[in-house]
Formats: sequence, structure tokens, C-alpha cells
Amino acid sequence: MSDSILECRSLVKYFPGCLALNSVNLSVPKGRIVGLLGPNGSGKSTLIKLANGLLTPSSGQILINGMEPGIETKKIVSYLPERTYLNDWMSVRTMIDFFGDFYQNFNKSKAYDMLQRLHINPVDRLKTMSKGTKEKVQLILVMSREAELYILDEPIGGVDPATRDYILDTIISNYSENATVLLSTHLITDVEKILDEVIFINMGNIVLTSTVDEIREKEGKSVDALFREVFKC
Amino acid sequence: MLGKLLKYELKATARIFFPLYGLIFLLAALNRLFWQINAEGLMIPRVIMMTVYIMLVVSVFIITLVVTIQRFYKNLLGDEGYLSFTLPVKTHSHIDAKMIITFLWSALSILVSIISIFILVADDQSLTQFSLMCGDIATVYHKLGLSAHLIALELIVVVILMFVSSILEIYAAIVVGNLAGRHKLLAGVGAYLGFGIIEQIIASLLIQGFGHQIMLYYDSFQLVQGAAAVVQPFEMTLLVLIVFSLFLCAAFYFFTHWMLNRKLNLE
Repeated sequence: MSDSILECRSLVKYFPGCLALNSVNLSVPKGRIVGLLGPNGSGKSTLIKLANGLLTPSSGQILINGMEPGIETKKIVSYLPERTYLNDWMSVRTMIDFFGDFYQNFNKSKAYDMLQRLHINPVDRLKTMSKGTKEKVQLILVMSREAELYILDEPIGGVDPATRDYILDTIISNYSENATVLLSTHLITDVEKILDEVIFINMGNIVLTSTVDEIREKEGKSVDALFREVFKC
Repeated sequence: MLGKLLKYELKATARIFFPLYGLIFLLAALNRLFWQINAEGLMIPRVIMMTVYIMLVVSVFIITLVVTIQRFYKNLLGDEGYLSFTLPVKTHSHIDAKMIITFLWSALSILVSIISIFILVADDQSLTQFSLMCGDIATVYHKLGLSAHLIALELIVVVILMFVSSILEIYAAIVVGNLAGRHKLLAGVGAYLGFGIIEQIIASLLIQGFGHQIMLYYDSFQLVQGAAAVVQPFEMTLLVLIVFSLFLCAAFYFFTHWMLNRKLNLE
């Protein structure tokens, strides 16, 4: 068993008329917070969907903890997609029961705790909530799982800066020592302070993988500055 | 895990169907009341009540169909699919859960409509007639003996399988329609019609191919006397229908499963 929680071996995904991932080789180590950074349409979401088994590779392999995406990997991966996937007709409480029923590593009391701190009433129906509140509920559900790998797709995209800080705090304080967080975003300045490593991706190719410390030492730049340089239009 | 999926599928749909069933029973009872009261000037309310009742019964079947399509599309191929397909659950179980619950509501809708008709019209006279009819059926049943059990069993199986295959046909059409970038609904309807045409072609090819044998088989009963002359070919016909609808069920089921596993591409 290797030390990497996520591994890609010559991973290719093409859609009709578009090569989304071009033979990607990648290894994400355990216990780190990793930023998957790239401009729009760079292949971030495709990679994330492949890791969650929502797409199947055209060729090559993607392995989670040494396994191909399937029931066993879904048990240990907690995924926050960029859209709200909550069932409209449910109340927050039903949604929590739902997660508790299907995910053995779901911690209900943690979820209720976080809801209380964000002043969200568990009996409220999701239908009546604003988009921002739904996103918060979704993040709470995802972070209340004691997972081995959290995959967060644009977790701070749609919320105000104050909530952004709260969300980032939630992410750091809610994952255990040996868990890994992979988060994709283009709001680099906001997440830079919590990242251990970064992966730059562009047009389906991995451009750079590095630790944040290395970037600061070698290049003498912030991740944000390096990103602007690499992806200069 | 299938049990848990069934539980939430039931919860998601029950909130639509139970109030509707309640309304149907209520209107059936009200209609009956209006017809029993002998008062002047009740004609217009009576007609209105009856119209509403009939519309409700019709709408319960339309809603059953709409819910079938909507639950499958929204929960698996819409945004909710991001959650459904990241649950540690087999794709099989998703199809099974949706199929079983849809079957349940279809059967219940039929049952509720029949009961509501009883509420509406049942009196001593009609109940006597109904029990006489049941008695007649029982007499025939006894006359035929063992083959009656077989035919009854076959009939039940045929109805269930045809039901299930038409549900699965809808699912298969939805996953095909979803491949289209735009006009998914149109593509889905097109796929559904396409499946219908393919079924017709297969059926007519089979009838053409085996036409001679079929003729010979039915002709061979011309010399047979008594009940066996009708019963045996009937049993055989039902058996063929069972095999054919079983084949359709399997084809649509595995096609849908394959598409969801391999061709899934949520927006």
C-alpha cells in the first residue's frame, strides 16, 4: 500500500470534440491540504468527477487509497460538488438522517453542532432556503463525515468573505490528522494560507506540483503570484 | 442498502400520493352523499362533484407517470445525482428502488380507483351482483381444476412483467434522452418511440419466423374435445408472453444499468 490517497496513472478523459485530461500522472499524499488550482475549463472538475466515480476514464487509471472508484472508495471519500445536490423536499434534519443512514462515518452531533453555530434551524425545509444557506448546509454535511479524503469543488465560490473565513476554519478544524483535503478553487489568495501543497492544472495537463513552502523559498513568491505568472493570458 | 434507498424513495413519493388518495376517497364519498340526498336544485353541484371526481381519478394516473419520470431524472441525472451516485450504493440498487416504488404506486393507484368506485356505487343490489359474478368465476375455476391455478398465476405474472417492462422502458428512454446536449425531453420521447418500434419489429419478425409452427400448434387442438382445447393453447400463449416480456425487462434493465455506469455525465 502506497502513501498516496489519490493516484492517477496516465489518466485520459476525452469528451466528443474535447480532450479534458491528457495523460495525467499524479500522486496526492495522505494527511495534507492540497489545492487543485487552474483556470476555468482546465480539467479540475473532470478530475474530481473521475475520483468520485461520476465519470469513467477513457484510458489510464485513477486510484483512491489503491482502489478504483466504487462502493469502497465512496465510503471513505466525502465530496462537495460545486452545485447544490440536496433533495429539495427534505428538511435539514431528514437530510442529516439520510447521511447518517448511508455513511457509517457520519457524525450527527458534529453536524447539529455546526448548524447551531451558523444559526440554521434543523426543521427548516431546504426548499425555503437561500442558495448561500444551502451551500452552508451542504458543507456541514460533507465536513461532518469522518472521511479519509475530502474532495471539495469550489467550496467558497458562492459565499461572502466573512462566510469564506468561517468555511476555511471549518475545513481546517474538522479534518483529522491523517485525512487529506483536496480542494479546487480559483480564489487563491483566500485559500493560500491553509494549503500545504498545490497542483496547477491547465488544458488537461498537470503544469506543476509543489509544496507551498517550496514555492515561497525557491521562487520567493506567493502561490497567487506564481499562479498569475504561469497562467498569464 | 436497498432497504434504505426504498425508505427514502417511499418518503419522497408518499407525500404526493397519500393526499391525492385521500382526496379521491373524500370526493367519492361526497358524490355518494349528493346523490342520496333527495333535494331540489342539486343537479348542478352533483355534476360539478362528479366532474371533479373523474378528473381526480384521471390525474392520479397522469401524476403516477410524471412522478416516475421526474424521480428518475431529477434524483439520478439532475443535480441530486451528485449525491445519489456518491452514496456507497450499487447502481443496481438505485434502479431497483425506483422501479419497486413506482410499481407499488401504480398498483395502489389502480386499487384506490377501484375502491373509490365501490364507495361511489356500492349498495345491496350491486354488491349482490358482484358476489354473483365472483361466484361464477369460482365455478369456472373449479371446473378447470389445476390449469385454472396455472392460468391465474400466469396472468398475474404477465401483468406484473408488462408493468415492470414499461417502467424500465421509460428509464431506458430517459438515459438515452439525457445523452442529448439540448432538447433532452424531445430526445427522450424519441427514444421511447424508437424502443416501441424496435419491439414491434422483433415481435413481427418472431411471428413471421415461427408462423408455420404457430399455425401447426393451434391446428393440432382442432380435434381435441372439451376444456383442454381452449385451456392448453391459452396457457401456452401466456407462457410465450411471459418469456417475451421477461426478455424486454432484462434488455431495458441492463441497458439502463450500463448507461448509468459507463455513460453517466452529470452537468
